[in-house]
Amino acid sequence: MKVHRRLLGLAGVCAATGGVVAIAATQAQAGHTRASAASAPKQIVVGTLYASSGAYAADSIPQYDGVKFWVNQMNKQGGVYVAAYKKKIHVKLVAYNDQSSPTTAATLYSQLITQNHVNIMIPDFGSVLTAPAVSIAQDHHQLLFDATASGTVFFTPNNPYIVGAGIRNSAFWPDPLVQFLVAKHIKKIAILYDANDFDAAQAATLDHGLIAHGVKPVYYQSTATTTTTYGTLIDSIAATNPQAVIELGYNTNDIPFLNTLPSAGHKFNMVFTVFPGQLPQLFQQQVGTKNLGYTYTYATPPLVPYPKVNLGLNTAQFSRAFKAAFPSQAVDYPAMAGYGTALIAQEALNKATSFSQLAMRRAVGNASGKLTTAIGQFKITKDGEEEGEFLPVGQVFPSHGGTAIKVVYPTNLATTKAKYPAPKG
Amino acid sequence: MPEGVAGASGQRATRAQTWRRRGADVAAVLVPTVLFALARTVDSNLLLLVTIMVYVVLAQGVNVIYGFTGYLPFGYVGFFGAGAYGTYIAVAHLGAGAVEATVLGGVCAVLVAIVLIPLLRLRGAYFAIASLAAALALSSLVSNPSLQSVTNGPYGADLSQVFSSGGSYWTAVVIVAFAMLVVVVLRRSRLGLQLRAVRADQVSASYAGVNVVAARTGAWLLSALLAGLAGGVYAWAISTFYPTAVFDTTISLFAIVFALFGGVGTVLGPVVGAVVLYYVYNAIGVNDPQYFQLIFGVVIVVIALFLPGGLAAVLLGARRRLATRGADAG
Repeated sequence: MKVHRRLLGLAGVCAATGGVVAIAATQAQAGHTRASAASAPKQIVVGTLYASSGAYAADSIPQYDGVKFWVNQMNKQGGVYVAAYKKKIHVKLVAYNDQSSPTTAATLYSQLITQNHVNIMIPDFGSVLTAPAVSIAQDHHQLLFDATASGTVFFTPNNPYIVGAGIRNSAFWPDPLVQFLVAKHIKKIAILYDANDFDAAQAATLDHGLIAHGVKPVYYQSTATTTTTYGTLIDSIAATNPQAVIELGYNTNDIPFLNTLPSAGHKFNMVFTVFPGQLPQLFQQQVGTKNLGYTYTYATPPLVPYPKVNLGLNTAQFSRAFKAAFPSQAVDYPAMAGYGTALIAQEALNKATSFSQLAMRRAVGNASGKLTTAIGQFKITKDGEEEGEFLPVGQVFPSHGGTAIKVVYPTNLATTKAKYPAPKG
Repeated sequence: MPEGVAGASGQRATRAQTWRRRGADVAAVLVPTVLFALARTVDSNLLLLVTIMVYVVLAQGVNVIYGFTGYLPFGYVGFFGAGAYGTYIAVAHLGAGAVEATVLGGVCAVLVAIVLIPLLRLRGAYFAIASLAAALALSSLVSNPSLQSVTNGPYGADLSQVFSSGGSYWTAVVIVAFAMLVVVVLRRSRLGLQLRAVRADQVSASYAGVNVVAARTGAWLLSALLAGLAGGVYAWAISTFYPTAVFDTTISLFAIVFALFGGVGTVLGPVVGAVVLYYVYNAIGVNDPQYFQLIFGVVIVVIALFLPGGLAAVLLGARRRLATRGADAG
């Protein structure tokens, strides 16, 4: 009896495993494409990763949709123009799901390069999921069109195979915020940040910027990126009686932080978090008008529109077209970053005189400072790091039962005046 | 039958058995090593192969600590991360070459294991949870901005100056061979016997003269060494990483499931488990994670209910039954 049960068990496992392997083999076969090196390729293969689950899913999916949108746009126009062959070529998108796991992402980047032989590679959202691609791409001489990674370790003089095409290094993000705090004469500032590259770089800039203006933060503390319980931390912050509380985290941190504030029983004149400006619909849904109202955030496109562009659609046109193409998906910053990054890849194909990765890198370098897309100016350093993006300070205002984010600083870009201190109750 | 003839025949049988056993041991080390060395001619995705080898080594590490002592380390990734960061520190601050740094990564994991020896006073779920907590604490420590001068804190580690896809691949092959050798030797050694005795009945083993604490500590340090080497070579292979990437608890979970699927306490079981399941994961888990998670869950339930010894136990049982039938028929 025992033997039969064991054999039944083994048969079950083998059947399940066999089925899985068979399906996988079919899929691998279907996804396998090679471009001919001798003549113009039949298609330009764009490779990317996305995360349908895990910590980065909320940002990764819209970024992926932005890339998909660009691919569809190109194919509707008969393909992307490739200067090296002087013709338009159909674009094929190959995408794998890394589930927010850097280990999985690493093998999938390698698969995109060594087996799918992609021509254009756009890594997944953020520094953590982009990091595994950097050395693999460099080793295989594959140019990375980095969309949303701001890691300081990626851009080095000896690596020409990465170019920041979307987001700017997060260390530069808080510059307008520092100016805003100084302009408002806010002296008692608490900074809580997550111990990761993206947030720690912002915190350091903020700290140094404030100290340069004679303001030493009354609270300056890091916490683990996995933190979702903020009661004790908020109590500790409140004990320092700050006028402004700056919480620097990912959306998975910002949401619980904002939701915990009212229950902690403390009210601050100013609360700043990073992601409401990038994912406004998600925050409206998860945090609600009451908890989100009058808080501050970085204002990003489409909140900051770029009506005059010289590549692709402008911000308003993109918002309309994207909404029509993906009715269930909000038009937010990661989607625009995906689209904006794909546009830079398009520019590389449009201008590179030979169909090589380094020729594309040179074409992108030549375009630096000359392009404006739906997400702003494209400008890179000689190491390939994006430096053109500017993020004003935005404030969330209750509006028609929901919320609207308006730019409050710098004054030349402001669409309204900041409501400081935030109304009580 | 004359006595002398029977004695000689018995001696020949024993000697033959010994040689067969030695041959099996050598094959257990050589076959996976050679197959992994040749794998690059079949699969051009070197990083996938390195990752599978890393999981083979981790599954063998789990085999050493769980298969031989019964301690299930949910925080096993702590040693892996310590190995990765040990390698980074060796390259960035000591100027070590990549291979030496990988070895130092293993040493770093052993040092962490020495600090965590008191955890062995716990048993069962308490040990599993405590080891997980230790791994999380280590992750927070490494990513602390105050340690930026040592670990580069939250800003990530960069080993691109020593990056070599071929070098890390061949080093991973050597580490697989070492892990196989460790398990083979442990299985045949006095320490291996002591550990199995301790696992079966700690008190009886102690009465029989086994130094329980020393035996367990030995297995703990060995398993940490394997995880540290795996972490070191993985760090070298990807070269740019953040603390969250090398202290990801999924790594522990995968290593444990791979070892259980193949069969703990055996030499080849964890290898088969890691290779089969990771390939399945990479093939189907990537594009259809929901199906993969379902299948993964079903496989784990089936193992827990019907195959506690994993695939290896079933195959060995089947071989034994065939041998018995053959003898009966003869």
